[in-house]
Amino acid sequence: MTKEEIIASGLLELYVTGSLPQEDIALVEAAITSHPDLVSEIEQIEKALMELSEATGGQVSDTVWTEIQNRTEGVRTLSQTPPKRNWSSLSGWAAAILCFLGLFWMMKNNNDLKEQLRYSDAQNRSLKEQVDIQGVELAETTELLEMVRSRDFKAVTLPGNVAVSPESYVTVYYNETQDIAYIDAKGLPTPPEGKVYQVWSLKMEPLTPSSIGLLSDFEGTDSKFFKVENIPTPEAFGITLEPEGGSESPTLDQLYALGTVAP
Amino acid sequence: MTQPNHLIEAMQQGNEKAFSSIYQMYSGAIQGVIYTILKDTDLTQEVLQDVFVKVWNNSQSYTIGKGRFYTWLLNIARNAAIDKTRSKDYKNHSKNLSTENFVDILSGHDNLSRRMDALGIKKFVEALKPICVQIIDLLYFKGFTQSEAAKELNSPLGTIKTRARNCISELRSQVLENTV
Repeated sequence: MTKEEIIASGLLELYVTGSLPQEDIALVEAAITSHPDLVSEIEQIEKALMELSEATGGQVSDTVWTEIQNRTEGVRTLSQTPPKRNWSSLSGWAAAILCFLGLFWMMKNNNDLKEQLRYSDAQNRSLKEQVDIQGVELAETTELLEMVRSRDFKAVTLPGNVAVSPESYVTVYYNETQDIAYIDAKGLPTPPEGKVYQVWSLKMEPLTPSSIGLLSDFEGTDSKFFKVENIPTPEAFGITLEPEGGSESPTLDQLYALGTVAP
Repeated sequence: MTQPNHLIEAMQQGNEKAFSSIYQMYSGAIQGVIYTILKDTDLTQEVLQDVFVKVWNNSQSYTIGKGRFYTWLLNIARNAAIDKTRSKDYKNHSKNLSTENFVDILSGHDNLSRRMDALGIKKFVEALKPICVQIIDLLYFKGFTQSEAAKELNSPLGTIKTRARNCISELRSQVLENTV
């Protein structure tokens, strides 16, 4: 079809009113491609029809556009415009993260301090225990010192038996009125395994030994100060090494120290 | 009318100003088409809103070069208006059921805008041949296809096209001669 034939056919009018089947639309569009000046012909048809219906409808009320704006606002602009960087939201997140890190750091610090505190507490307790123990020990020692210094106590020195243990020596603080004595065994060697020192009170004529006690837990007793009670009036004190549990009578070849009580 | 392709593209990319300009250009003509179908001012305004909301939301479905943008708009508007005629709201108005066409409506308008007056459209359509009134009413306002119109008017397809050509040519010369 020539350009003129197309114009005269009425196809362009029906193209504008939307009344053509698909194949005729394709025909018109092919014609437009080869004859671009057909567009102005189409535009005149369109303009005439638009003027006609505009006259029919009258003035458009302003409320229509307002309502359309209300209904379309933010519907597509949000997804179409490139996403804006929301600084207030970003800084909010940053602050939240900082806050979280700070909190974490403080919690860790707090835990470390708690751990230190617990350790210090334990140390304190242990030191306090030591102080307590030492306080008790000091009190005991002071008490002992007071006692042995008093006139009620007699100091008896027991030199080492040259044949058995020449280096040994023992001091016995003896209270005649109360029949008690403190044995200072600092000068004795640690007894071998399975053996124990036994303290004897002796009468000389005839020689009668009475056991007055064992220096049990010799190694464990730091002060090496032992108390013995119910002492039959002695003329001498002797210390022998006996099998564990002690013996009925002293083993004389294991006599470590012996000394007489001054009258 | 020259088709504003740059505005259509901008609107398709979400430009609200472009959409606003397109509304300014086309809303009057589209309102007239809707009103001719519904013959009710309130319902027409309602449908006109619906149509332009649809245009904004579905602008991507129009492709420049594949048919006129106005034809695309016209199809949306006529379909929306015809849908409305099936609604309860519409059926409650007996006036709507009248057989008035665009000529009757135009004749009924006492207060056309000065611009419309200057075009002399009212006088023109009042003098339009009845066959032209029918052809324009069916093809343009009611959205009949050429074969539907041929059936309705009991005429061959070729005659429908020729008449459309002749009737709209008269309208064109009337409008273009008087365009200020």
